[in-house]
Amino acid sequence: MRTETITYHQQTFTLHHSGALYWHEIEMLLIADVHFGKVTHFRKHGSAIPQHAIQRNFEKLDLVLSHFRPKTLCFLGDLFHSYINSEWFLFEEWVKKKSSKIILISGNHDVISPLRYEEINVLVANEWQEESVLLTHIPENRAGVFNISGHIHPGIRLQGAGKQSISVPCFFKTQHQLILPAFGAFTGKHILNPGKDDLIFAIAEEEVIRVI
Amino acid sequence: MNRNELQQIAVDWFEQQEWTPFAFQKQAWVAFLKGKNGLLNAPTGSGKTYALWVAIVLEYIKKNPQYSSTHKKGLKAIWITPLKALSVEIKQAAERFVEGVGVPLTVGIRTGDTDQKERAAQKRKMPDLLITTPESLHLLLASKGYDQTFKDVSAIVVDEWHELLGSKRGVQIELALSRLKTISSQLRIWGISATIGNLDQAREVLLGTGSEALNNSLLIKANINKKIKVKSIIPKKMETFPWRGHLGLHLLDEVIPIINQSKTTLLFTNTRAQCEIWFQKILEKYPEFAGEIAMHHGSINKETRVWVEHAIRNEELKAVVCTSSLDLGVDFAPVETIIQIGGPKGVARFLQRAGRSGHQPGKESVIYFLPTHAIELIEASALQKAVKNKIVEDRVPYLNSFDVLVQYLTTLAVSNGFFPEEIFPEIKSTFCFQSITREQYQWMLNFITIGAQSLQSYDEYKKVEIQADGKFKVNSRGVAMRHRLQIGTIVSDAVLTVKYMKGGYLGSIEEWFISKLKPGDVFTFAGRNLELFKVKNMQVLVRKSNQKTSKVPSWMGGRMSFSSEMSELLREEMYLANAVSGKSRELKALTHIFNKQKQESIVPGPNEFLIETFKTREGYHAVFYPFEGRFVHEALGSLLAYRISLLFPITFSIAFNDYGFELLSDQEIDMQQVLDNDLFTTEFLSSDLRKSLNATEMARRKFRDVAVISGLVFTGYPDKLLKSKHLQSSSQLIFNVFKEYEPDNLLFQQSYTETFEHQLEEGRLQLAMQRITEQNIIWKQCKKPTPFSFPIITDRLREKLSSEKLADRIRKMTMQLEK
Repeated sequence: MRTETITYHQQTFTLHHSGALYWHEIEMLLIADVHFGKVTHFRKHGSAIPQHAIQRNFEKLDLVLSHFRPKTLCFLGDLFHSYINSEWFLFEEWVKKKSSKIILISGNHDVISPLRYEEINVLVANEWQEESVLLTHIPENRAGVFNISGHIHPGIRLQGAGKQSISVPCFFKTQHQLILPAFGAFTGKHILNPGKDDLIFAIAEEEVIRVI
Repeated sequence: MNRNELQQIAVDWFEQQEWTPFAFQKQAWVAFLKGKNGLLNAPTGSGKTYALWVAIVLEYIKKNPQYSSTHKKGLKAIWITPLKALSVEIKQAAERFVEGVGVPLTVGIRTGDTDQKERAAQKRKMPDLLITTPESLHLLLASKGYDQTFKDVSAIVVDEWHELLGSKRGVQIELALSRLKTISSQLRIWGISATIGNLDQAREVLLGTGSEALNNSLLIKANINKKIKVKSIIPKKMETFPWRGHLGLHLLDEVIPIINQSKTTLLFTNTRAQCEIWFQKILEKYPEFAGEIAMHHGSINKETRVWVEHAIRNEELKAVVCTSSLDLGVDFAPVETIIQIGGPKGVARFLQRAGRSGHQPGKESVIYFLPTHAIELIEASALQKAVKNKIVEDRVPYLNSFDVLVQYLTTLAVSNGFFPEEIFPEIKSTFCFQSITREQYQWMLNFITIGAQSLQSYDEYKKVEIQADGKFKVNSRGVAMRHRLQIGTIVSDAVLTVKYMKGGYLGSIEEWFISKLKPGDVFTFAGRNLELFKVKNMQVLVRKSNQKTSKVPSWMGGRMSFSSEMSELLREEMYLANAVSGKSRELKALTHIFNKQKQESIVPGPNEFLIETFKTREGYHAVFYPFEGRFVHEALGSLLAYRISLLFPITFSIAFNDYGFELLSDQEIDMQQVLDNDLFTTEFLSSDLRKSLNATEMARRKFRDVAVISGLVFTGYPDKLLKSKHLQSSSQLIFNVFKEYEPDNLLFQQSYTETFEHQLEEGRLQLAMQRITEQNIIWKQCKKPTPFSFPIITDRLREKLSSEKLADRIRKMTMQLEK
């Protein structure tokens, strides 16, 4: 396993191959676009996606939590794909077993009432600012702050000798923004074209590699 | 009325039209009246419609002697056509006969284009003859009380059966017929097919393996001996004729005199992109043709296509640039000449296109072959032989298409509901599912009822429910509606409609092409240069542009492979290149190229298998020449790449055409090691092929169809795109989930089976490899690319295979970027 650690606005962040981002100074783990409930939502509408895929998100979350042991876990939106379905109860049970404080920055998919989250001690907010770092779901350009977000599901296409090309999910960094890849097991990626000042951290199986 | 008297009615009518019935038409009438089923082998434009429609009407007269005064209500016959565009012609022909003999039978059309009002009217009162498509027939099976609708049907005619046979729409027909055989007691089933290699099998697939219907059937051949003349357009200056390319524009000037000499000429291209470019370029260079030439392909809107078809018939056009969209359908009498641009890849297709010209009796069909690059002249030469010797390929029917079965079972559950025990023997009687096991059937039933093979807690899967009486039924209106919408979905890329900003529909275009354009970019579509304004709600808004240069959409598809028959002919022609005599005009014209080839390498003979290696700035190339057609090369390329990658970590990009394949890498391949390790062995062929990453990639692409047909992917409500977005997911994503969590899923497995049987043609691959192991391998280390290698190494459509770690590859690519 290999991670990348970077510093912006005097804050230190570690990029993990799962798509999670760890913020050292405040011991916060950031995770974007889990899309819980998507498999069940599809099944409910007659599309028989394998149910085993549901467990995968929880396993992945547990793995990355035990690795970083954060004080706070912050979901950067699109935590739940749809209205409440049976996966919500699995999520409830899972949350009860966690010791970290949990925050959800609401995303466009998050239609479940904040009251349901409050019942299980998950704090819901539209955005969150610590120091000069602004956490949102959809990427924002705001003066004076460094923005960390999700929503896009960024991916990158790379080309090499012998007419090779591959596409992988990535962390996408522009001058004042960092966009996280989607964490969920049943999510896709959206290929972006980096500009000349952008940085790309590609996810290659168990490694995070800075490509530009 | 006895059979002779009945026939006389038809003969009299034929005489009034100043026609004489053909022998095959009379044979069909007699066979039908005797209650037989069958397959009629007759080409387009031979009067095949009257062979069967007349029989259906005579049968009605026989049963209903008071036909002119009393009319028996209800649907009597169904005519299935693969293309909705053909339905109007069939209707006109059918009406002409019933009006002529004074039988008040009504003819109706029901396809995707039939409006809601008309459908509702049909539901209340079905026409006597219904002309429809396989999809629309299934939609009828998805409506309540379909058994009442179909109970008095006495005939089903499946037109252009050869077109449906090798496709999943053919499986749809098999399943629909298996149901109709039970509910319509008087049913006769007839197919009409152009000439293909496996006509007997075509009849078996249509009527059902070992079925009563098959026992009581016959094959009628039209035997219309039509003369076909093939002429190659040979460039005047071979020296400057390109070694590669697929457009053929170099020979544009040669085409003009041909067009001028005949009333109407059809120019067949292989892709829609090529069609657009040719149309554009002819007009650019010869503006005097404006208004006299037109274009016809599947992405152009229906009105324009219909207008073009009318204009051809009325002799208003000198030439039409078209794609396979004009392969089928009724005659265009004024068409005198056909030009085929680029290799047609199959003899049957070539013959069918040739047959579109010279419809007047006694006239011969003339087809010109226009090569798009030098080596294609060998193909031209081989085609001539194929036409002369009447070598025609098979259409391979599908086996065990579980996706279509899932769709069909859901269809039955949506309408009347079904009892599994009643349906199983019907399914088992079809060709496609002749070997289906009880276990597999149970798997399908579990899949549509609980979405898995065992019940899970917390599950909310909802599709087909099992009622207390054991009937399988869809009770959710949402499920039923989404299923009906899905039946008609033609599997293709997401398609967007192209419209002028001011309004006015131009046609449809694949999403992936538009996604490459920015607003302001100019592209060519429907023969016009258009500027992209914006893409919104699945609509591409454009305005006219005066800019000269533009991008031309290169539609996917259209990449076909040589049949094994064609490959063999091609190899034989190639071997003639080394011969002293017996060369065709085409081969003689290629002398200069063959000499160039021999300077660096060789022209292989019958006992030789050629491998060329050389280095360019793109990397290290290894080109292999089995001359087996692109599908076999695709398989062989990935197999070989996989086997080499076991020797050392390496990454390949693989390109292939009908002549050979190329392995390109950033590191040199140790060819001696490849030869020493006996990498062409047929041992472990299946398992190696399955392990090659490429097979997974190909299966992933096949899975797209499977996922849509079986209802795993919902493609959305028309005009209600946003609302269904939460249910949209790429089939790729679902493929990955299955691969990881449910690899034994039968639908997932099916994508592999289809890859091996239909895409990679494992059987042919085996034979090809046996042939190669008997040949002498000649490895030529060349200094530069040879004429043979050129069309392959410049192909941009590539597969890849790697045994290097992903992270290592990414690191190499990074370095590449930094250089």
